[in-house]
Amino acid sequence: MSDYVQLAPDALLERIARTLKKEIGPAVEAVSPKTQAFMASVVLQKLAGQLRLADEHAAAGRRDLQELATELAGELDTASVDTPPSLRAAVHTVRHDLDTASVSGLIETLYATRSELGEERFASLIGRVRTRLRARIDREMVYAA
Amino acid sequence: MTQQAPDDQAMAERIRLYIETQLPDASDLRLEAMERIAVGWSHETWLFDAHWTEGGVSKTQGLCLRRDPGNALLRHFSDLGVQFQVLRSLESTPLPTPKPYWYESDTSILGKPFLMMEKVAGTCPSPWGSAGRRFYAEAAERGTLPKSFTAALASLHTIDWEAAGLSFLGVPESGNDFALREVQKWCELVEISQQEPHPILVDLIGWLKANAPETQRLTLVHGAYRTGNLLIDNDQISAVLDWELQVIGDPMYDVAYVLTDLNREGSQLLSHLVERDAFFREYEQATGIEIDEAVCQYYGMLYQLRSAAFWMSAAGLYASGQSDDIRLARTAWSVPFVLEGAARALGY
Repeated sequence: MSDYVQLAPDALLERIARTLKKEIGPAVEAVSPKTQAFMASVVLQKLAGQLRLADEHAAAGRRDLQELATELAGELDTASVDTPPSLRAAVHTVRHDLDTASVSGLIETLYATRSELGEERFASLIGRVRTRLRARIDREMVYAA
Repeated sequence: MTQQAPDDQAMAERIRLYIETQLPDASDLRLEAMERIAVGWSHETWLFDAHWTEGGVSKTQGLCLRRDPGNALLRHFSDLGVQFQVLRSLESTPLPTPKPYWYESDTSILGKPFLMMEKVAGTCPSPWGSAGRRFYAEAAERGTLPKSFTAALASLHTIDWEAAGLSFLGVPESGNDFALREVQKWCELVEISQQEPHPILVDLIGWLKANAPETQRLTLVHGAYRTGNLLIDNDQISAVLDWELQVIGDPMYDVAYVLTDLNREGSQLLSHLVERDAFFREYEQATGIEIDEAVCQYYGMLYQLRSAAFWMSAAGLYASGQSDDIRLARTAWSVPFVLEGAARALGY
């Protein structure tokens, strides 16, 4: 972002979105370009919202994944039955990477080891993952709405 | 001919020349009332009337041309050649569909592959706008169109698809092969979108694979049976359109699409048109097929995957530069809505 722009990036995007909606869109006569102008306004508005919350959401996401990895590792350690090594590895990856791919990998591993885990243990573990993902989708809905 | 932009005029002339080659006995061929309609993000569509003289007799035929733009959504599943073959197969059945005339894969004719079919009388109000919703609400009050909606679906599900020559669509194995095939198909679209799947989507896919129901019977399945994909004339379904996602499979897949909330945006009426109890009663009576609500719930979950894949694919088209339509970029923010619904359905 240029130092010469006096607005924060999200505020700049919102300002442009307003101009598109209030001035440019109404001035366009042809139907298709008009639709594109209004849609561009909507996209910029959503981007602005996402950008404004990006740091806060990223921090919350990392915190959630750290806590999830700790909870899961604790549950696996205290279990009276063996844990599939692939599941331990997937939890380790979440703790290490703290990213979307690692959570997706963990979910895939949970489904792949479901029969070994048994239904009760599977439900408990996937339930912990889902609690964190519920928080994530709630955050995403703030700017998607 | 109505006033057109230069590109449209050139296109109209190319279409006219093509039709001339298909009607060697015709003279004085002219095309009138040509309009390019913007529906969906799939194939480009033109409607027009062809007038000509043949053996001293004046003739007129309304035509609909669909051209493959090469970057349409669902292009991986929707081939105009297959659509042509499906429409050909359906000609001999009671299902109201447009009569197909010509399909050309030769891109030298109109630049892209295209299909030309009958322009069927009727309108196709969009259920996503207030005017369309008002149209369906008023039709629901009159009561004839809802019955026609259900009857056409029943007709579709009772077609002898083998006799009609539709086996080329692929016939699933017994058991849960159909459901798993559909899950795989939409997973492929997620992959093609080149976007990292959200973990909720991964969870949904895992759930769908683990709970795939057995198919009790195989029928022709439209794949997107709802208002907006049906042509309506005088309160009757005059043509079932949008043959892009048809398969041989479980009829509950279509029934679930009728039942899903995705197609009624808060309306109590299925597809903004049909009362649920009446739909169940009339569909079961006409088909002899009992609606399995548990199976429909499963397919309802599959539609969550389908919607997410669809929006991801749409957003991906814009992101990759294959389309400049900003409406596609907007769909990126539709994905969280679908995933939120999936999360609720999975019990999050």
